[in-house]
Amino acid sequence: MPAPPTADEAIGNEMFQTAPQVEKLAPFSAEDPKIIRTFQRAKRIDLMARWGISAGGILVIFCVVGMMVFIAAVGMPLFITPSVAKLSQFDRSLQEKILAVGVDEYLETGFSLDQRGVWSFYYMKDGKVFNQVTTKPVAKKNLQLHSIETYDNKIYSLLWADGSTTVTEVKFLPKFNEGVRTITHQINRIADFPAEQNQQVLQSFARISGEDDSKRVTLVRQLGNNKIQVIQQLVEEDLMGNTEEKNYSNDFQYPLEDPITVMTVDRLGNAVYAGTQTGQLLQWNISEPGEASLVGQVQAFENAMAITALAVVFGESSVAVGDEKGNLTVWFPGKIQKTGEPGPLKKVHIYDSYKNPIARLLPSTRNKSFTSLDEGGNIRLNHMTSERKLLDLSSAQPYRIFGFSTRDNGLVTLDDHNQISLWELDIPHPEVSWRTLFGEVWYEGYQEPEHIWQSSASTDDFEPKFSLTTLVFGSLKGTFYAMVFSIPLALFGAIYTSEFCKDTYRRYLKPGIEIMAAMPSVIIGFLIALWLAPIVEQYVISFFLSTLLIPLVTVFFLFVWQAIRENPWCKRIEGGYEFLLIVPVIIFGCWLSVVLQAPIERMLFNGNFQLWLYQETGMRYDQRNSIIIGYGLGFLVIPLIFTICDDALTNVPKSLKAASLSLGASRWQTLWRVVLPSASPGIFAAIIIGFGRAIGETMVVLMATGNTPIMDWSVFNGMRTLAANIAVELPEAPVDGTLYRILFLSGALLFLITFFLNTFAEVIRQRLRKSYGQF
Amino acid sequence: MDNSNSETINIHAHRSYWKLGEPMVWLSGAALASILAIAVILVFVIISNGLGVFWPSPVARISLLDGGSTIGELTQRQQKRDTGAWRQQIKTGNRDFNSLDFRWIEDSDIKKITYPANIIALERMEFGNFYGFLREVNTPSGQFSKDLNSQFEKQFHFIAEEMEKLEDMEDDISSLSNDMESLRLKKQKLEYHGVASGSPELAKVQAEHARLQQEFEELLIKQSNEINRLRAYTATFEDISGKTKSIPFLDIVRYYYPNTMSFFQKVGFYIEKLWELLAEEPREANTEGGLFPAIFGTVLMVIIMSFLSFPLGVITAIYMGEYAKDGVVNRMVHIAVHNLAGIPSIVYGVFGLGFFVYGIGGTIDTLFFPERLPTPTFGSGGILWASLTLGLLTVPVVIVATEEALSAVPKSVKEGSLALGATKFQTLIRVILPMASPGIMTGFILAIARAAGEVAPLMITGVVKLAPTLALDSSFPYLHLERKFMHLGFHIYDVGFQSPNVEAAKPMVFVTTFLLVMIVMVMSSLAIVLRNRLKERYTITGF
Repeated sequence: MPAPPTADEAIGNEMFQTAPQVEKLAPFSAEDPKIIRTFQRAKRIDLMARWGISAGGILVIFCVVGMMVFIAAVGMPLFITPSVAKLSQFDRSLQEKILAVGVDEYLETGFSLDQRGVWSFYYMKDGKVFNQVTTKPVAKKNLQLHSIETYDNKIYSLLWADGSTTVTEVKFLPKFNEGVRTITHQINRIADFPAEQNQQVLQSFARISGEDDSKRVTLVRQLGNNKIQVIQQLVEEDLMGNTEEKNYSNDFQYPLEDPITVMTVDRLGNAVYAGTQTGQLLQWNISEPGEASLVGQVQAFENAMAITALAVVFGESSVAVGDEKGNLTVWFPGKIQKTGEPGPLKKVHIYDSYKNPIARLLPSTRNKSFTSLDEGGNIRLNHMTSERKLLDLSSAQPYRIFGFSTRDNGLVTLDDHNQISLWELDIPHPEVSWRTLFGEVWYEGYQEPEHIWQSSASTDDFEPKFSLTTLVFGSLKGTFYAMVFSIPLALFGAIYTSEFCKDTYRRYLKPGIEIMAAMPSVIIGFLIALWLAPIVEQYVISFFLSTLLIPLVTVFFLFVWQAIRENPWCKRIEGGYEFLLIVPVIIFGCWLSVVLQAPIERMLFNGNFQLWLYQETGMRYDQRNSIIIGYGLGFLVIPLIFTICDDALTNVPKSLKAASLSLGASRWQTLWRVVLPSASPGIFAAIIIGFGRAIGETMVVLMATGNTPIMDWSVFNGMRTLAANIAVELPEAPVDGTLYRILFLSGALLFLITFFLNTFAEVIRQRLRKSYGQF
Repeated sequence: MDNSNSETINIHAHRSYWKLGEPMVWLSGAALASILAIAVILVFVIISNGLGVFWPSPVARISLLDGGSTIGELTQRQQKRDTGAWRQQIKTGNRDFNSLDFRWIEDSDIKKITYPANIIALERMEFGNFYGFLREVNTPSGQFSKDLNSQFEKQFHFIAEEMEKLEDMEDDISSLSNDMESLRLKKQKLEYHGVASGSPELAKVQAEHARLQQEFEELLIKQSNEINRLRAYTATFEDISGKTKSIPFLDIVRYYYPNTMSFFQKVGFYIEKLWELLAEEPREANTEGGLFPAIFGTVLMVIIMSFLSFPLGVITAIYMGEYAKDGVVNRMVHIAVHNLAGIPSIVYGVFGLGFFVYGIGGTIDTLFFPERLPTPTFGSGGILWASLTLGLLTVPVVIVATEEALSAVPKSVKEGSLALGATKFQTLIRVILPMASPGIMTGFILAIARAAGEVAPLMITGVVKLAPTLALDSSFPYLHLERKFMHLGFHIYDVGFQSPNVEAAKPMVFVTTFLLVMIVMVMSSLAIVLRNRLKERYTITGF
């Protein structure tokens, strides 16, 4: 190591390098321009350095603040209110009544369908009609349309006045040519269903499901007399390309005294839902061709309100229900606890009510939101899970008809004065609200509201469950067990090292434990998961025994020690060697626990604790459980807590200690009454810092728990923490998607937790340093 | 002293022994002892498991009472919990015959354990180890069944030499494909910038690409012919159950006769394996072979990280120690530093992903590589972003150590320098920093140790289980900062937790763990020794 230059050399190099000759010629003069220049240069450099270094120092504050702001900023769009903007409005007065409106996903061209079966396509910006297509009924008569029904924003069932149905699909096809986009459209006639003799048809619903080689078209008709008819067309294509068509038809009736007011069919054509005048909510299963069974019937409202609108929410298991008082609710089958089969429909979500009866409900085709329209002409968009009101449109002219683009990014409305308006919707994260993140939510298929984290599943129509509470709980649980293990060990270890230990050992102990602190967490995680966990699984009784036996054995040893301590050899040990002598005692305690495991397990737990635990309490023993985490995380924070405690204790002014000892207090009394109280803020800070470290630790938790997000304090199972969750899910999360932002939000949450903890601890330590400065 | 008097003192002492709190001293001693015991046990487990992996253990032939027999390495013994009976775990290898590498045999079923001298152990390119007996050597020029061992050795060395040629060919192929890739990117760029399809520039690139393509294909054919030729050299082995298998020499990495090796042969074997670990590529989903790419990735990442972390850390510490006035700002900087140190590493990862990878990386992509979009260049995880993230993470380590070192410089020295007319900056550069340099070094070393062991932020900013290419190679611009990389710590996580056969992967994980622990521990010890020396020097000089 080169010796540092002395002060003289340092200055000599810089300022008087050219001076020797000058010195010979003339005495030192402050007016010498050369020297002045040198001085000025040095001053300039000094000033520049001052600015540069200060900027660099303050940069650290910006780093901390910038990180926080950045992470939070990525998470924030979760909470922005959805935006809706009116892009255009034009008049579309016709003699014929308009039954449906729609728009392409680029919001350039739209259409309306009138009562004659004429599709008029127009440019959305000015309403200029550029094409008209007419769909004719099979009967070739000049018929008017009775009503239409639509799903997926593209399949329309046209019910003609004679009772026949035509199923059509409206398709928009964008074409790119030299960077210019033109949108063409197609109207495909998919199927025709002739009218039934002597039957009045009130509504008809067509559903198309299946792949190309096995397609099913289902038509459900509401007939007069409270009757429902189901017609199913199965088209199957074998490997040779031959197609086979099978037709099924059946109908069923509901008692006449309670007229069906509204009905709907799910997207796949598997279930029919109906609401009645007296508020009965009915559900038929029609998934088997030719068969229909009433699987659910509940009295939805006690005061016999009529149900006026129904819609099956995306995912096909929940129904949105609107009634004549303007109430809006969502129902789904609760699980029957024993069999796991779907039970009766339950009212799960309640939304803000309208003043008027609800006229129409339309589910979204991409997520679990649905649009409602009331008799007063107001349109609202609600998300089922988050219960958020995403959109609320009302104007002096009541809206009567609305339609979405296939991507749900645009809404077309038609009001009483035949004004068509185009709205652009931007609803990036409808499923997220403070309640879904932190509160209990009643998810589809669950018995009751719960905290659940399940961000993805194999199907698209799955209801994502984003309860951060589960993860926060997991973090706290892991940290709790870690602190239970580490605080006593680290604190008392530090007390012994700083107060009682022989100085020769102390000099090695502290650096040794600091090196321990450098142990990478991935290694601790690996060791405790693949080496310790199987051992603890095998010796779990020993583990519990040792927590009891080691203190017992130690106390027993102390009684023995008390008898022999007057021996001069023993006296020497009391001068700072105690921790060495106690080692065999601890080893003996451990050995005893291992030896006693087998008899105790045989006596109390029929020879297999894990099996006993499961049979008696229903708790499962996970190999990677909270005991393991307690050890792993605890071992990780022990050096941290130890070092800071040790610093706090050693920094207590020697004079205090000396005064106490000289007044006759024993070494433990001095520590307990004098040193510890003075150092307590530092110790407190140490514990807080340890807590902050444990709560954010990733690798140990990731490796040594099963990462199952459950809320359960049991020591025998694991947890999923905020930090581990980020590591597991962030690499797979699509950029700027809901999951991505929620993970950033949980990162911000972790940041905030540790920020408060660390700031608090640092303020305490700064105070402490100041108060020690007084001695 | 009067006898009775001494007795009373004794009784008094006994009574007050508990009151004075002596037992509590013992209990705190017990706490310290427990911490040390845990640490020692952990280190012992790592060392004992990590060091022994490469030592060739004998392969036993176990005859069972039911008449069957099996061969394999004896790995561990375990007592069954319910009956208390002992059982023996055996690594039987031969994964292509028995689907599992390991087998448990109860002690009570074992008749006899012998160590036949003619057992041969093979390390193979796939299916793990093979234990069995050599029966035949087949070459295109004939079949040998006499003097087998020497024939086998001869052929093995012949193939090893041929393999080196094959590897050269492999290098040529990969450099060719690199060239083709850069030509493809060039072409893409030209097309993006609207160069007409018939232009000479584009035509030149295309011609060049076609030429390389042809060369590439020729080389591929040549390589596969060569491989086919060499695959004809095989050896036939028989396992304990009498099944035979013919294995091409090409698939044999290494062979040894475990039961006849002398001590020095074993040492040689150990060193060879150690060299393979440090210098070779991994095999069999990272569970065999070497760690070179992971070591390389770790080192390169640490070096890049230093460029951010060291200057920023030192400057901040200088600001805090020498320039800042004791006021609100200084306290805030202090709090900020301690916060930086306390923020969970995964949060740095989250920041790195959002800010560096998608923020800066995405911007670089749209500005400089728009023709490659939507395939990201810098806009996905890579060694640069991972290093910068770790750079931020290690700044507080450097700051704390530097600050400590600066404050250890005696005030009198500083004042002396200032009194002689030096400016503050001159004092800093010429006096304080040289004196504090060992302490600053300590900070650097600690930061490197921290970075080498950190995994969580890397997992989301660019580390992968298997990187096809190193970030530093012979093709322009030599240092490919956008590439993904391998890392020792992640290697442990990946092999230990993501590989399909964890039991077979364990030895490799222990070796990696041992290596990483060694790196981190040695560096931290070094740092601490350096720091203590510094402290001693100033206490002795003591102005």
